[in-house]
Amino acid sequence: MKTLRRTATALAGGLLIAVSGCELPPVDTVQSGFRGVGMEHVQNPRTLEDSVRAVAQRVPQLASPPEEFGDPAPDGTWENVQVLGHLSESEFNRFKLAMTTWVAAETGEGCNYCHVIEDDGQVNFASDDKYQKRVSRDMISMTQTLNTEYAAHVGEAGVNCWTCHQGQVQPVNRWYFGDRPDPPAAGSMIERPQWERHYLDRNDVRIQSSEALSGDTDNRASLQQTEYTYWLMIQMSESLGVNCTYCHTSARWGDWDESPPQRVTAFRGLDMVRHMNMEYIVPLQDEWPSDRLGPEGDGAKVNCATCHAGAYIPQYGSTASHAVDWPALNQIGVAHGAGETTSAAMEDSDEDEESDSGEVSENP
Amino acid sequence: MAEYQNLFSQVQVRHAPDPGVGVPDPENRIPDSGFSYWLGKIGDAQLGPVYLGWLGVLSLITGGLSIVLMGLVMWASVGWDPIQFVRLLPWLAVEPPAPEYGLSIPPLAEGGWWLLCGFLLTTAIILWWFRMYTRARALGMGTHVAWSFAAAIWLYLVLGFIRPLLMGEWAQAVPFGIFPHLDWTAAFSIRYGNLFYNPFHMLSIAFLYGSALLFAMHAATILAVGKMGGEREIDQITDRGTAAERSQLFWRWTMGFNATMESIHRWAWWFAALTVITGGIGIVLTGTAVDNWYLWGQKHGLVPDYPEVWGDPVPAVEPGELDGPLQGPPPEGMPGVSYMEAGNGFILPGTAAHVSFAQNLEVTP
Repeated sequence: MKTLRRTATALAGGLLIAVSGCELPPVDTVQSGFRGVGMEHVQNPRTLEDSVRAVAQRVPQLASPPEEFGDPAPDGTWENVQVLGHLSESEFNRFKLAMTTWVAAETGEGCNYCHVIEDDGQVNFASDDKYQKRVSRDMISMTQTLNTEYAAHVGEAGVNCWTCHQGQVQPVNRWYFGDRPDPPAAGSMIERPQWERHYLDRNDVRIQSSEALSGDTDNRASLQQTEYTYWLMIQMSESLGVNCTYCHTSARWGDWDESPPQRVTAFRGLDMVRHMNMEYIVPLQDEWPSDRLGPEGDGAKVNCATCHAGAYIPQYGSTASHAVDWPALNQIGVAHGAGETTSAAMEDSDEDEESDSGEVSENP
Repeated sequence: MAEYQNLFSQVQVRHAPDPGVGVPDPENRIPDSGFSYWLGKIGDAQLGPVYLGWLGVLSLITGGLSIVLMGLVMWASVGWDPIQFVRLLPWLAVEPPAPEYGLSIPPLAEGGWWLLCGFLLTTAIILWWFRMYTRARALGMGTHVAWSFAAAIWLYLVLGFIRPLLMGEWAQAVPFGIFPHLDWTAAFSIRYGNLFYNPFHMLSIAFLYGSALLFAMHAATILAVGKMGGEREIDQITDRGTAAERSQLFWRWTMGFNATMESIHRWAWWFAALTVITGGIGIVLTGTAVDNWYLWGQKHGLVPDYPEVWGDPVPAVEPGELDGPLQGPPPEGMPGVSYMEAGNGFILPGTAAHVSFAQNLEVTP
């Protein structure tokens, strides 16, 4: 009897330990495709609720948008404004102030995170001396491109700085060459994890043949190749907090006809991320100070998680990360006072004319 | 605890170890035999005599060397850090050479170790097979054990040797490692269009599950008639006692048919052997004959047509768009990456298959 009780106790204890890593049921399962083919979303409503609440609590308090965004500021209002020349003065200031919360909140430096304070205590808004300002301009320009060219991915709502930055100068989710997943991907202790490369170019991500027989095959992708694709897909799945069937039919991964429409959105997203990395972020390599570099000396790069951070829509669709109310970001900007002196010349000659509002009294 | 009702006695008798029946070359035995109380709880309390012989010695040496080499390669891959070695052990791997090496012998660090470990392990397994065969023969037994082992070796050789040979590259083989070999399995199924549509995979699964079912049915039946001497199965074959009568009537009552005391073991043997035999056939056909099992299944009416649920057309990605403006070689500054293109494998240059393959890839055959 004693043995029986001891065995039962040990079994119960073992069972408890075995399930301690599991989420508490029940979870919600929603059928998303034809019956009986396992096309379903699985979500834990309590975890989801917690995540959504956390997003809501982080929402920054910003000035509400005006009734009218107004006409572009008259020539000569600012110096060295290269991508926000389409804004009215008040909208320009509202946006600049928002950026100090969106991006530089953790520093507590406000405008001075990007702008130079001169010896006399005045802020030199025109100066490009700080790398932060040069990078910001590139990032504003990038966001304008995302919102205008990639509606297929970011939708009508678009994205703003908050979507990724969340008040931090570097978004939490980013990647470098030489990153090792932990635990490591298959073979990655010997080979570098090449799946990351798909975020830069997408050669050979398609590894399935479109012909049944080997003699007719149009695809000679190797199994190693397949593992990189697999890891890219798992990376996307974890970034979005969804399972494979969110985008794919599990019987045949590569088939577009039977794939849910989300896959098309994700596909445009890969295009978009590649564009962001190759056209905007990698070219900034020379700007980064050494403490911003990865183990192999490269700057941070973007992947799906940078914006999504585990949510199928970034910030679960919170309007705080939309671009709708931000003309600074939802259209391609122009230079202010185009055709006048170069920015370098302006910096040299007009330091004394700067004021806190970024205005100058007269045309330089 | 319930009373243990069996003609077997729980009492463990201690006596001089039983050397067994008289056999040739007894000098190869390790003469030491002993008794273990705990082994007696699950089987025969007597341990030994072990027969090693030169096959056994060589098998242990090559097998041991292979395992030690795998461990060293894995340890080296974490910079000889003992803590990381233990922490990451389930993820560490000895990977086969990259596809560009084909069937040539690569440098040790680039797959050579895999080749060496695989060679040593295969040698050990085959020597062990001969040992099973010769020992069974020495005892005047049939060689059933050796042949069922051979069925498993067939699958092992298909995975690590025969199929890579047919595909023309070692890269097709399974890596050594706990999760890496499982990752290989997942990648293999994904690459070849879902292995579940491979009929030999289906057969293998059916035999595997069937083996478990037969194992459970047979074991339960014999235990159920244990108190009538049912475990003395060989006696019962030639001289059916009440245990055999009752257990067989039980199955005729419940499902109309019974296996005999002898045939149930043939059922079990064939189910077990066919699991790996059909599995091996399924693997050897994958990539050599069939490149996408789902499409193969569609062609042969295996896959039903599912209705389009997302409307028609699905917001299309046009074929041309799949080759987007940003596709191409990696940007400058991307360190040390070379993509692994698969070789032409068994598709020999000049054959019709190779020509069509080359045309598809727009390269000169």
